[in-house]
Amino acid sequence: MTSMLRLAWRNVFRNPRRTGIVITAVAVGIGGTLFSVAIFSGMMQQMVENAIQTDLGHLQIHARGYDADPEIGLLLEEGGRAEIDALAGDPAVRAFAPRIRGEGLVTSPSASVGVRVLGVDPPRERMLSLVAGSLVEGSYLDAPRRALLGEGLARRLAVEIGDKIVISAQDLSGDMTGEAVRVGGIFRTPLAALDRGTLFLSLEEAGSLFGLGSAISEVVVLGGARDEIPALQARVLAALPEREVRRWDELQPLLRYMLDTMDQMAWGLYLTIFIAMSFGIANVLLMAIFERIREIGILLALGLSRSRLVFMVVCESIFVTLVGLGIGFGLAGLCLVLLSDGIDLSAFSEGLGAFGMGTRIVPALGVQDLTIPTVVALITALLASAWPALRAVRLRPAEAVRHD
Amino acid sequence: MAILEAIGVGKVYETRGVETVALDAVDLAVEEGEFAALAGPSGSGKTTLLNLLGALDAPSSGEVRLDGEKLADLSPAALSELRLRKLGFVFQAYNLIPVFSAAENIEFVMELQGVSAAERRKRAEALLAEVELEGLGEKRPLEMSGGQQQRVAVARALASRPRVILADEPTANLDSKTAIRLLELMAELNRNHGVTFLFSSHDPLVLERARRRIWLRDGGIDRIEEGAVA
Repeated sequence: MTSMLRLAWRNVFRNPRRTGIVITAVAVGIGGTLFSVAIFSGMMQQMVENAIQTDLGHLQIHARGYDADPEIGLLLEEGGRAEIDALAGDPAVRAFAPRIRGEGLVTSPSASVGVRVLGVDPPRERMLSLVAGSLVEGSYLDAPRRALLGEGLARRLAVEIGDKIVISAQDLSGDMTGEAVRVGGIFRTPLAALDRGTLFLSLEEAGSLFGLGSAISEVVVLGGARDEIPALQARVLAALPEREVRRWDELQPLLRYMLDTMDQMAWGLYLTIFIAMSFGIANVLLMAIFERIREIGILLALGLSRSRLVFMVVCESIFVTLVGLGIGFGLAGLCLVLLSDGIDLSAFSEGLGAFGMGTRIVPALGVQDLTIPTVVALITALLASAWPALRAVRLRPAEAVRHD
Repeated sequence: MAILEAIGVGKVYETRGVETVALDAVDLAVEEGEFAALAGPSGSGKTTLLNLLGALDAPSSGEVRLDGEKLADLSPAALSELRLRKLGFVFQAYNLIPVFSAAENIEFVMELQGVSAAERRKRAEALLAEVELEGLGEKRPLEMSGGQQQRVAVARALASRPRVILADEPTANLDSKTAIRLLELMAELNRNHGVTFLFSSHDPLVLERARRRIWLRDGGIDRIEEGAVA
């Protein structure tokens, strides 16, 4: 078997120019596709991470029924103590934070805007959300009766730091209530919707506004790697059977759909590229077979079985493909290293913000992004070698050994 | 007992509807340990008969037996195995694998037989010494002269320890001095190892040394001469 592999490997490089052209085609094709996938993947991952690290978290714990109808009366009592106790000992939990989530109308001297009001525990929220790190002005809820607004919302209300705004809302008992606060901070995140329509208050002030007392709407949880979250979800659910524990992709199925679509698109891209390449590979192998008819006849005369002959041709195809694949991976890797600081797309910031993306896209590749092209490449190599292998095994030794 | 037998063997080639009779009802038995030659002019059927006896082609009629085994009864895989275990070939154009060194060419057949790497290396070195190519094992075919390549081809044919070596015009591309040395070498191997040699050739140097000459003409056996001339 060693000799067969060695023979196949050396055969590949008998015509360096021809093999080089095919390897270059595979390398450039795979490198370009991989790089494109890396950019799309980077955009998607950033969109998901932005959503997780601003609003969704990896898990959210709510009172039962909240998912179907997220009304203000479905609460976790005592500041979510039972929920927090259940999370405290789990090593997979990186951070958690209680929140109050409600709707309201915010009024400035210039405008009134319907907003989502989020009451947060600033020290805990800092560890979970990137909003605190996205301040462009002011401070992060470090004084009483201060509100934190997105840049878009501040612009809609035409307010600045220190300006007074009034928040009106319906409290737990259904009565209209209101609070006058000052703009304490303005943030800018990659999520345009968050910036334009969310107002942050401290947990106590939001509780007071909605008349919730010590109750909260949810506990948001940040875990480790995304693939560990289902296990964490199962553990939390087992500890809190009376609660709804939802993953980020259950809360925002569109994000999961987009990631899945991205994977399917990658498969489609690779299949298209490799089907096109398979003709080139098959052509090179066929030419190589025709050039070596006499040699193949000799191999058959020496006692090489037809199955081993097929193995040799398949190996030649796989070697060409894998060398091209390796170089393609290298090219894509080089591009990723060169662009490790990200691609600046600030010229398109508004459009990207609408999709929850930042203005600096860092191309990203996961193990799966390398697995898909490898699997597709190996399938392609097998398919591409089928025809040449068939031609080779059909050769009759007596005629082949006399071939000029 | 005959190691090789052709019984009423015929071979007809058909090209674009035109049939050409290459062999017609040939009967031939080659005994074990023979050093014999198929002789005759071009087109007499020498190579065709050699191919049929070497299981490289199938007869249109009649049957071929190797070591008592009827080749027509064997599957393609069994024929490959038979060529690997019982037959060795030496061709006119050397036909070594150009991407392998001399030693790798010799070892290749042994690896197909499942011989261990250490044993292969040992036997390849011994065979190279036997064909007087000691120290040239790492050379590729294109780095060797025609005579050296043909000696590697003989060593390769011997590597599988075959019962029969079939040599098709083995001296055709060699100068007479090299050809004589090669034939002496083959004769020695025949004497020392008891390997049966059957040549196909019209080279007088081969025919002089063959202990039996089977003369073919127009696809049939014309006459058989016994006894070495040289």
